[in-house]
Amino acid sequence: MPCERKPMRYGHSEGHTEVCFDDTGKFIVTCGSDGDVRMFESLDDDDPKFITVGEKVYSLAVKNGKLVTATSSNTVQIHTFPDGDPDGILTRFTTNATHVTFNSSGSRVAAGSSDFMVKVVEVSDSSQQKALRGHEAPVLSVTFDPKDEFLASASCDGSVVVWNIEEQTQVISWPLLQKTNDVSNAKSLCRLAWQPRAAKLLAVPVETKVQLYERGSWDHVTTLSDDLLTQPINVLAWSPCGRFLAAGCIGGLMTVWDVTSKLCVERQKHEKGFTVCGLAWHPSGSQIAYTDTEGSLGLLDGFSTSATDSSSTKVQAPAKKPAKDFDDLFDDDDDRLMDEGLSDTNSPAKKAAAADDDEDDDFLMPATGRVRNRGAILDDENSLDTGSLKLGQDKFMDDDDDAGSTTVPAAAPLVPLRPVYEGPLPTPPQKAFQPGSTPAHLTHRFMIWNSVGIVRGYNDEQDNAIDVEFHDSAVHHAMHLTNSLGHTMVDISQEAVLLACPSTDELASKLQCLHFSSWDTNKEWMVDLPKGEDAKALCLGQGWAAVATSTLTLRLFSIGGIQREIFSLPGPVVCMAAHGEQLLIIYHRATGFDGEQALGVQLLQLSQRKRQLINGESLPLSHRSYLSWLGFTAEGTPCYVDSEGVVRMLNRSLGNTWTPVCNTRETCKSKSDHYWVVGVHENPQQLRCIPCKGSRYPPTLPRPAVAILPFKLPLCQTSTEKGQMEEQYWRSVLFHNHYSFLSSSGYEINEDGQNQSQKEQQELLMKMFALSCKLEREFRCMELAELMTQNVVTLAIRYASRSRRMVLAQRLSEIALEKASQVQEEEEEEEEEPDYSNIRRPSGHGQTEATRGRYNSRHNQEEEEEQGEDLAEDDDGQEMETEEATETKKRVNPFAKEAGSPVKLPPTPVGKVVRSNPFKVLGSGKPPASSGQPRMTNILDNMTSSRKSAPLSGSAGKPNKSPVLKPLVPRPKTKTQSTLLQMTATKTTSKKTQDNTEPAADQQKQPDVPPPASPAENTENKRPKTGFQLWLEENRKNITADHPDLDETDIIKEAMGRFRTLSAEERLSWTERAKGQSGDAADLKKRKRAEGGDGVENEKAEDDENRARKKKPVDPSSKLSAFAFNKN
Amino acid sequence: MDPSEVEFLAEKEVVKIIPNFSLDKVYLIGGDLGPFNPGLPVDVPVWLALNLKQRQKCRIVPPDWMDVEKLEEMRELERKENTFTPVPSPYYMELTKLLLNHASDNIPKADEIRTLVKDIWDTRIAKLRLSADSFITQQEAHAKLDNLTLMEINTIRTFLLDSLNCMYKLRSNLQPGSSKGQFTDY
Repeated sequence: MPCERKPMRYGHSEGHTEVCFDDTGKFIVTCGSDGDVRMFESLDDDDPKFITVGEKVYSLAVKNGKLVTATSSNTVQIHTFPDGDPDGILTRFTTNATHVTFNSSGSRVAAGSSDFMVKVVEVSDSSQQKALRGHEAPVLSVTFDPKDEFLASASCDGSVVVWNIEEQTQVISWPLLQKTNDVSNAKSLCRLAWQPRAAKLLAVPVETKVQLYERGSWDHVTTLSDDLLTQPINVLAWSPCGRFLAAGCIGGLMTVWDVTSKLCVERQKHEKGFTVCGLAWHPSGSQIAYTDTEGSLGLLDGFSTSATDSSSTKVQAPAKKPAKDFDDLFDDDDDRLMDEGLSDTNSPAKKAAAADDDEDDDFLMPATGRVRNRGAILDDENSLDTGSLKLGQDKFMDDDDDAGSTTVPAAAPLVPLRPVYEGPLPTPPQKAFQPGSTPAHLTHRFMIWNSVGIVRGYNDEQDNAIDVEFHDSAVHHAMHLTNSLGHTMVDISQEAVLLACPSTDELASKLQCLHFSSWDTNKEWMVDLPKGEDAKALCLGQGWAAVATSTLTLRLFSIGGIQREIFSLPGPVVCMAAHGEQLLIIYHRATGFDGEQALGVQLLQLSQRKRQLINGESLPLSHRSYLSWLGFTAEGTPCYVDSEGVVRMLNRSLGNTWTPVCNTRETCKSKSDHYWVVGVHENPQQLRCIPCKGSRYPPTLPRPAVAILPFKLPLCQTSTEKGQMEEQYWRSVLFHNHYSFLSSSGYEINEDGQNQSQKEQQELLMKMFALSCKLEREFRCMELAELMTQNVVTLAIRYASRSRRMVLAQRLSEIALEKASQVQEEEEEEEEEPDYSNIRRPSGHGQTEATRGRYNSRHNQEEEEEQGEDLAEDDDGQEMETEEATETKKRVNPFAKEAGSPVKLPPTPVGKVVRSNPFKVLGSGKPPASSGQPRMTNILDNMTSSRKSAPLSGSAGKPNKSPVLKPLVPRPKTKTQSTLLQMTATKTTSKKTQDNTEPAADQQKQPDVPPPASPAENTENKRPKTGFQLWLEENRKNITADHPDLDETDIIKEAMGRFRTLSAEERLSWTERAKGQSGDAADLKKRKRAEGGDGVENEKAEDDENRARKKKPVDPSSKLSAFAFNKN
Repeated sequence: MDPSEVEFLAEKEVVKIIPNFSLDKVYLIGGDLGPFNPGLPVDVPVWLALNLKQRQKCRIVPPDWMDVEKLEEMRELERKENTFTPVPSPYYMELTKLLLNHASDNIPKADEIRTLVKDIWDTRIAKLRLSADSFITQQEAHAKLDNLTLMEINTIRTFLLDSLNCMYKLRSNLQPGSSKGQFTDY
């Protein structure tokens, strides 16, 4: 029977209240701790009549035009009703009465008192009193037997006693309740209720259940319970018909049971969850009035009268067909359901079943025929295991619903049965907070402590102020503000201080920004948020501010106060953090269960190209913990700490996953100690936090000192050497992710730091390699080698061969080759994008080397000698490493710096190429040394083949240009469609990149124009002149004459263009001439290749020896012609 | 040795400061200092700490032992024991003086600490005098100077040595057979 819950209204001031209806049901009469009795004609009665009866009214009862109240003057008074004239004092106690009640006829009043006594007084003659003594504590409640024979009372001593009124003796006493010393301490008011009319049952609220006792036998016949009832029942009230029993609970839940079926027919929740302390049925049974401990009055209206009628007039039940049918139909199921519920909740099922029978005998006369049967069913059911019971329960429920909705709509409301909920309970969502602040309720608190400064808030009697202090006094001097607006949230950056206050009754929520870095005179701005919108979290980025509000809106402002973007958040914000152009938002994604929080994270990039990097993924938290800090590392990687002290950092290189990097609790000495994180730095690796003894937050005084914790990835077995090194390696990798992020987002990066880190990583790998070698774990060695850069692999090969692990060395060399070819491919790809064309990667050297391996061998040997024979080359390797690193890094830079690097430097870091080669040679040359000659050739063969497969890369290029430009020439050749225009474009870009590379490159620069001195160098480097070079030598003058203003690179560009316009044959001739010149440099193999010659279509390629070698198609005739030219 | 010299030696002691400026590592003969990050504690010698403090460039974090409770404990122990108890720092007196004079605003309960350290000092000096007294009266040849700080030794050294010299001379005159010539030396 769904009834309407009317909105609550003010009844009395805060405190205990009671409510009852008068006989006619015209008035709702309430009393409260303000000492008034109010008579409401209806719930909407704005001007209720009231009588002041004392300072406090503890209880009241109305009957037959008399109003009885228990007041704080220790008396029980009578007033006339509804006039409210005093009608004398009924009785007195030595202390206040706690509960008064009329008997059914209204002739007598029973009152229980805190002086342990219960008195029964004749209303007509107050001298006729009967005192019932025997309770050993204040009496909680009293109730008359409707037949006036007995009286039941509950007391703080834990007993519920039934008295024989005439004999003034205890009939029976049940120790049902918890003992307390005073009514005010009692958990429940324990208002007993005796069933009206039939007077068969006495209802006693025991904790969350109602126990029903049978009059006369005083047996416990049944228990009413409801699984949603989690808090003790405070008050009980029978419906006037005696079929329904209403209960009001401490948590504000109100439940109505149909006692005949023991079904819960109605559940209502107090709108604010206040404790219900007064409950009364309207005489008609259609309304229930209730009051709470906050003094409000409420009404449940529209309580189904039909049901009431059907039960109250159940003897004539056949007349009421539909309802009856319904009862017949579903009683079975319902009862079973109920009993199952009981057995689930530990109440003795057998007993319940027995009680059932009794009850049904009494109340369901027409149904008695079925009762035995049902008992049998019940027994069967109870013998089943709980699991199957539950299944059955669901099934029954479905039945109920179906039947209820289809067949008997009128009575359907009787069974709005809810499934018994036993699953996980929702976690209260954590409140929004500012990272780095201590709780707002403290009088002295840190409003924020971050890497920029400290903001302290003082809110005591003398002062309401905010102290702003900067770690670096160069940013700004300290500030002291009076906090007249009541700001609760602060963020501080190098540019500004942002404050926000919640809205009050009159004032809107405000945002105040102290923009101290502003160069004009106005250093402050303020914004009112719209009405009804409260700032919940805020943060300051570089040049912008963000505020998340209670309306799930995120507002962006410029730092100067311009309103910018606005967007909606997917859930209530928890906190935000900003760094540079990044904005990190954590919000409630859903309701968490069992102590878990369900948080979502958004990471936005607010730079020129605004985009969302993390898109509402869930934030991993430790079990049953909440978020306690959120921020960015100083380098800009998002980072957070949960209440379990686990610090997690975003791993951008692993698909934006979160890696735990530290557990602060591990370093705590005692369980109650915590670390309060204030900052995270990746380079150097520092977790800056404040140790707090015995608390989660530091006090403002004495001023806490920052401590530094190291990071530690929770890898396995970090006590072993292996685990330790693994941890170090991966930590190093993780903590240097920011370099790539920073460079990709266009920031300057600390190149030294990056080199250092790469060096460190490779060193660690090498150490791990050595360790695995020692442990005879060769497979593991291989795995480690996979992680190494090519140069370090060559070191590893050496190490392996020195330690006589030939198989390993052999396999390693394969890896080295693989890496070489891999890099080659990468480079190829890069060539597609011109910007990368001239940048060499670490293994790129190797690759170029491979193509030129023969020529360089001599040189390499020299290098090798220099390096010495033992593994001290480690150093050397690292040096190389560093060099490579610089180069790799350079790769990324161009994007960031391209525009800003107009410096044009002559190209050709030839020396660099040579220098880095040794490793490559080692890579190929070493294993043969150990494994014998065949092996060597094998490797070299591989190398050449791999080189062949990648014909574009690593060609010698035009000698007068830097090797960086080499790829330019071959390119058009492969892509025959590519036009000249494209080519020049390529060149320019590549040149730009090259410019960047130049400064760091070796000083050994080959002059642009083939200088007279250069041939020597060229031969030294085994780089023969190409045809183009020769041609350029001859034609340079023409070009300079035509374009006197061109600088070297442009001349070459121009020259390239011109050279290209030459006919194929002309070019071929130049090439051949070049070959002739550098013939000495060409080795046998090359010759063989060249023998293949090039078809006319391939002539372009002929400007380069290496390229020539790569040419697949062989045309003897062209070969011959080449010789002819040679002779010339 | 001058007390100021002892103080000078004490200035090489390391103390934690929280700088409010940012500076890379400083390379000095005595070792590298820094890097200085605003808000992050860093160890520096006392002389630098005081210099920075005077320029309002840092806050000084008082050493662990500069704490009322610990000092009270120490004072009690010092009073109870007949011998010298170990002191928290070999330069406790100098450091207390220096830090309290220049950075009392960074040290909680500075006055109490000053009093406590002075108490300890007085107790120890009294002990020292007593032992010097007994050393002389009982004509001991050796004295243990365990747990004595440089400053403490320094306060009594000149006096003790001079008086011992003096005594020696006096005694040697008392000895029978001492030449008169010696006497005439005076």
